[in-house]
Amino acid sequence: MTMGSKFKPLYYLIFAIITVIVLIPLVLVLFASLKPASELAASSPISLPSSLYWGNLKTAFVKGDILTGFQNTLILIVVSVVLNMILGTMTAYILNRFDFRLKKVIFALFTVAMVVPFYTTEVARFQIIKALGLYNTLYAPTLIYAGTDLLQIFIYLQFMEKISVQLDESAMMDGASYFRIFRSIIFPLMVPATATLAIIKTVEIMNDMYIPFLYMPAKKLHTLSTALMSFVGERASYWNELSAAILIIMLPTILIYLFAQRYVFAGLMDGAVKG
Amino acid sequence: MSYNMQKKLIIVLFLAFPVFLLLLLLMYPTLKLIQLSLTDWNGISRTFHYVGWDNYVQAFHMPEIWKSLYHNWQYFLVHALILPLEIMIAVLLNAKLKANPFFRSIVFLPYVINGVAVAYVFSYLYNPINGPLNLFLEAVGLDAWIQRWLSDPAVVNYSLIFVSLWRYCGLHVILFLAGLQSIPEDLYEAARMDGASPMRQLWHITVPGMSRVIEIVLFLNVRGALQVFDIPFLMTQGDLPMPVRPLPYTPWIQLSNSTTMA
Repeated sequence: MTMGSKFKPLYYLIFAIITVIVLIPLVLVLFASLKPASELAASSPISLPSSLYWGNLKTAFVKGDILTGFQNTLILIVVSVVLNMILGTMTAYILNRFDFRLKKVIFALFTVAMVVPFYTTEVARFQIIKALGLYNTLYAPTLIYAGTDLLQIFIYLQFMEKISVQLDESAMMDGASYFRIFRSIIFPLMVPATATLAIIKTVEIMNDMYIPFLYMPAKKLHTLSTALMSFVGERASYWNELSAAILIIMLPTILIYLFAQRYVFAGLMDGAVKG
Repeated sequence: MSYNMQKKLIIVLFLAFPVFLLLLLLMYPTLKLIQLSLTDWNGISRTFHYVGWDNYVQAFHMPEIWKSLYHNWQYFLVHALILPLEIMIAVLLNAKLKANPFFRSIVFLPYVINGVAVAYVFSYLYNPINGPLNLFLEAVGLDAWIQRWLSDPAVVNYSLIFVSLWRYCGLHVILFLAGLQSIPEDLYEAARMDGASPMRQLWHITVPGMSRVIEIVLFLNVRGALQVFDIPFLMTQGDLPMPVRPLPYTPWIQLSNSTTMA
């Protein structure tokens, strides 16, 4: 749809307002993080910092134990995203290429899992994690994040439909096993969908506070989110330092988003329209 | 190995682990929840007795639960009321203008930001002592509007709902945009040739073409409203006054009590 020229000023006005609403909170935090405590108290929150003061960022980085947070978050992401992608493609491969009796049941299970609000079942899930001896270890969130879900399966399924079955058939004529077909044909051809899903999952894990907070309270197991929570707990009302910590925690996901937004949008579009 | 044998083997092998995880971490807890809801288990003790529907009857008569649900309902309602605006923004984003990719990135930005960070950003803005929001109101002469945004029971839920809007509206807009882009362009061309006004095009082509996405967004809205947790929990340091707690608080508090006791 193209737009008449009389609408253009209105268009820019509306999006200017939206941009301000989105960015103002972030900009104010940025200003606060670059002011020493005395300046923050004396100056207006919307005034630019008189000079760039890095002390808060340094304090937040060191005292907030951000490095531990980065490290743990990174481990969680690498391990669970890889597992999650393997499980997701395997499940989609079976559900798309084979017919078997329990297929409907399996779809139903994934649907139920999607509809039940997570917090209602947390008490029982917590007991299982504890019984398995995984409480307060990195394995607990890994196991929870690794499981595939309905949305992922749907995105994979519709992507798989575009991969011609003739490819499988000609490979079978050459005597390739199903496993071989999955490994050498299906999995490589699904890489674009996998890239999209992996980025979405990475952002999801990076931003989650609920699971790490509940299952990994130990300080040395802090993730980015829980590190920020405990820093805020210790330094409550030192808003200059807290702002610095907030900025540091926000940065990784914003960077990933800016560089990979093409994939993020592709995934959302596919999932929304055809899912 | 014959393909028939192989087929059986690969179905079992490939589904075993994903389904096992699903059963262990989602299905079993759900069934357990249903089972426990029929007992007098207090969250700590090792034994329990079946009490039938008593818990449901009791819960039904607990005013706290209904009050909590009312706060979830407010989330749903405000988000639902803003849907038409989100659709309009998506329509604008769908126009072919140079600035679109930039604005699209901006609109979606809040959704990708760490939720803990979002909560504290707004804690800073709402701060009653020299918080930017109150200072701003003072500066523009609206002193009367100054509030204790996060501690006055009359306003806190709305303060929190605003954060929820800031965070999730972008996602909805992008989903609506996806729906718009899936509508074939020739439908609009045909409509224009028949002389249909833009409003009529919106009503007769755009809205029906997006019905599926609207359903998805409404589903996300119900789910989100029922699950709202992290932002209120973090912004009120976990002690949101009872009358304004959304529902997920109750199991959380029980859980954190039982873990500290265990």
